[in-house]
Amino acid sequence: MWNYEKRLQFPVNIKKPDAKLAQAIISQYGGPDGKMGASMRYLSQRYATPYKEVAGLLTDIGTEELAHLEMVAAIIYQLTRNLSMDEIEKSGFDKYYIDHTLGIWPQAAGGVPFNANQFQSKGDIITDLTEDMAAEQKARTTYDNILRLVQDCPDVSEPIKFLRAREIVHFQRFGEALRITQDKLDAKNFYAFNPGFDTNGKGAQK
Amino acid sequence: MNNQIMNNQGLQNKQQMLKDIGIVSFAVVDLALYLDTHPTDRAAMEYFNHYNRIKTQMEREFSRNYFPLTMNHAESNREWRWGAAPLPWEGVCD
Amino acid sequence: MQDYKFDEFPDKFPVAMAYVPWQRFNGIYDDLEKAYRIGTIFPELNKPFTGRRCTS
Repeated sequence: MWNYEKRLQFPVNIKKPDAKLAQAIISQYGGPDGKMGASMRYLSQRYATPYKEVAGLLTDIGTEELAHLEMVAAIIYQLTRNLSMDEIEKSGFDKYYIDHTLGIWPQAAGGVPFNANQFQSKGDIITDLTEDMAAEQKARTTYDNILRLVQDCPDVSEPIKFLRAREIVHFQRFGEALRITQDKLDAKNFYAFNPGFDTNGKGAQK
Repeated sequence: MNNQIMNNQGLQNKQQMLKDIGIVSFAVVDLALYLDTHPTDRAAMEYFNHYNRIKTQMEREFSRNYFPLTMNHAESNREWRWGAAPLPWEGVCD
Repeated sequence: MQDYKFDEFPDKFPVAMAYVPWQRFNGIYDDLEKAYRIGTIFPELNKPFTGRRCTS
């Protein structure tokens, strides 16, 4: 279960709304490498994880991703607060506004809705951790791309820099979880069986 | 850093205290992930224990003076304090 | 041509697998407020985006 802390993991205080920027950053909410997918990826993968250290790490990083999901939502919420109809039309935010007004909804920057196909839960710990490492790098690149857009706006770039740094830390931890996994397997053939399925070596036989 | 936080606690205003809680809680989160993959690292464990204790104390202190940060600190008499607490995503106007 | 070190730790790291080096505990930032702004308490994990190639 979870407990809620009534604060953001890192403060978000944006003074000037910018609907155009909000449409770019919303990708980190519900886009292909966004926080909706990240949190669901790790929190879904942990059940089939054969090693409790690794399941524990997936839980804790998945939990931190939920805090990041809230931070990204706060950024979008504050960037679209008190918009005039004129600003909505000029910024191109009118298309989003028609379907959601100013509600926060998970979609990519290009308008593609969130979809569970944006992450995998394969039931094979080597595969899942390799995906997780790639996912952290993809999110890091997205933040690099956002940072080029927000250079002159410290209210936005400070929390984005924080979120980007967390991707690198998570990459390191998933890498270490993969090392833990390797230590439990036979280095002559890491792929001889799936430790989350072929228990006692019987899984593959009828 | 942490001694400074502890000593000044009574004088600090709400925003400063909330920021300090954010800072200490962040150290706790980063140490926890490290310990998840280094479960026998005693040096990291000492840091974790230290900052985790400070976090708990500061949350209790903050919740007593301003609003409950977690349900653990939401005991109420006349008004439901948890519901009256500000929403984190509103940010701060200055 | 770049000189790749093909003979690096062949026994410790079998092929067809990915390896991230273990992080060792070297302490954390004294200034935790700075660590918060950076996004990690570990100096060795601080790898900011500069958007430029020359970053000394």
